[in-house]
Amino acid sequence: MLELLEALLFSTLDAAPALIFAALGGVLSERAGVVNVGVEGQMRAGAFCAAVAALFMPTPLGVVLGMLAGAGLAAIHGYLSIRWRSDQVVSGMAINLVALAGGTFLLESLYSPNGTPAIEQLPRWTLPLIHGVPLLGALSEHSGMTYLALVLPFVFHAVLTHTPIGLRLRAVGEKPHAVATLGLSVQGLRWGAVLGGGLLAGLGGAVLSTAVLDRFEQHTPAGLGFMALAAMVFGRWTPLGAFGAASFFAFGNALRIGLASSAPGILEFIPQGFLLALPYLLTLILLAVQGQRSSAPAALGTPYEQESR
Amino acid sequence: MGERWRAAVPSILSVALALVVCWIAIALTRDTEVASNAYLQMLYGGIGQWPRYLDGGDLAVIVRPLGEAASKAALLILTGLSVAVAFKAGLFNIGAQGQMVVGALAAAVVGAQLSAHALLHLPLALLAAAVAGALWALIAAALKLWRGVHEVISTIMLNWVAVTLVDNWLVVGPLRPTVTGGHSVSGTAEIFPTAHLPRLLGDISRMNLGFPMALAVAAFVWAWLIRTRRGFETRAAGLGPEAARAAGIPVKQRMAEAMGLAGALAGLAGAVLVLGTEFRYPGVLGAPYGFDGIAISLIGNNNPLGVTITALFFGALRAGGTRMQLLGVHKSFPELIQGLALLFVAGRLVWLALLRRRRTQPASAEVPRA
Repeated sequence: MLELLEALLFSTLDAAPALIFAALGGVLSERAGVVNVGVEGQMRAGAFCAAVAALFMPTPLGVVLGMLAGAGLAAIHGYLSIRWRSDQVVSGMAINLVALAGGTFLLESLYSPNGTPAIEQLPRWTLPLIHGVPLLGALSEHSGMTYLALVLPFVFHAVLTHTPIGLRLRAVGEKPHAVATLGLSVQGLRWGAVLGGGLLAGLGGAVLSTAVLDRFEQHTPAGLGFMALAAMVFGRWTPLGAFGAASFFAFGNALRIGLASSAPGILEFIPQGFLLALPYLLTLILLAVQGQRSSAPAALGTPYEQESR
Repeated sequence: MGERWRAAVPSILSVALALVVCWIAIALTRDTEVASNAYLQMLYGGIGQWPRYLDGGDLAVIVRPLGEAASKAALLILTGLSVAVAFKAGLFNIGAQGQMVVGALAAAVVGAQLSAHALLHLPLALLAAAVAGALWALIAAALKLWRGVHEVISTIMLNWVAVTLVDNWLVVGPLRPTVTGGHSVSGTAEIFPTAHLPRLLGDISRMNLGFPMALAVAAFVWAWLIRTRRGFETRAAGLGPEAARAAGIPVKQRMAEAMGLAGALAGLAGAVLVLGTEFRYPGVLGAPYGFDGIAISLIGNNNPLGVTITALFFGALRAGGTRMQLLGVHKSFPELIQGLALLFVAGRLVWLALLRRRRTQPASAEVPRA
């Protein structure tokens, strides 16, 4: 039993970082008031560029390039939605479509339709003291990304709630005109948040192709970006909430995969489809019960215009 | 040549630019000859091999590609209209994909589980799909109107609920056909021939009644939006909910109606896919026609005529895309063109600013939504 739990915990810790980073990316962008439905596309760009770059250079450097690719797509989103005030959902969806088809096109023309060649995965760290200890041992033997994913949400939370820049970021998503009266640049803050969100989503994608797998596969990230959005909403647009929701969703996924291989009998009663739908169903139920207005940033999705009130 | 055509200019420019950028993309990864050849193949695959026909070839070399293009366009018209109708009421229906999945499943169930006369069976299957799609969309409408949940979030969630529940539970569980022969098939049981959408061109092409039906639906949606009082009220609610409410229009009701209609249209797209070409709910409904609907609607300026023209164009590109595979270009290439075109349309304000800088007179007084 303990071994099973440890295995479950281990695979959760392996799979969760991608979701956590992407959800945090969504939180960063949306807390500043810019809707980010393009997380899926940014993840795909990050995963693809990281895998391709890792073919030519050390994998960690590839991860950095993957992050930059995510930020690159986010920059297009930012240019259209911040600079030109176009509909934020439209440019986000456009990014998704371009990343989906563009990734397939580049993959086919450069490598093979199914995936890139294998790369060297990110090194896994053996933690000296707890390695081999029952249950706690699940914490060992992960890539650095897992440990980063466990720390980053708390850093993000601290910055968002306890620093001036965090306050400004929140204010720009709630009442941008108030920020403008302080002489701060609304556009600048939003640009920072969108690019940061792109870096995080790109990192989430890069983790998929360099730590979870060892290549970019045709369908990566296969809807994980939308699950990250669900985690963001379920976590009520807070870093710690998104972290908790993403971890919970990842655990549910690990449980499903674990059950399918070790106890298929249980899945006779609870079909896999239910478990797969659970993150989205729970998010919908939460929204239905609590309503959205209480938690979403007030100026979310509203382009900023200096002259408007 | 008035304002209405002027409004189409950014879309046309966007599509043209997307075509150029994608040509360059092939030219860079392969070479210019392959790129041109691939585009030629796409043209042949989309609108027929006219040179071969004029050289005394079989009529099929034209009819088959055109039929293929029409059957793809039918789906794009319906999902595009779904997104467009919601847009007119000021709602962003990202959920066409989920509504289409639910509709496709309903059509597959009615088509396979019920036996009836053809005159009754087909309409029943279509109706079931439309109702299922509408109900699925109304969940989002209810969440929006009663709980203030933004429809973008709820429809994204509903998409994935529909896809996971249908693809990973119903289709592999309760609805899996009982295997009679030696080979097992993926997807649900095959529908009865009485529920098939009749093919219009015999065995030459898969083109079926779905295409004229989609065109008729587009005409209906146009008439509803432009020629009826309800349609007018719906548009008013979309353009300015406050003003509409002040004018005595029941805004919430009109929004709910529009969302229901949007869901019904997406559900019909699912029905056309199942009853016209697949004849069962396939193991995985791979094609993301619902997401394509977003692109089609926005490139088509969110109006029924624009949506229809855009869907016909991209339907032809899709049909041609399969021919590009002969040259080693992935068949999803037209989707790249479509995605880029949407991105350029999203940058419509950039276009307009550039045009405005060229001449002093503004290109269009209307401020576009996207």
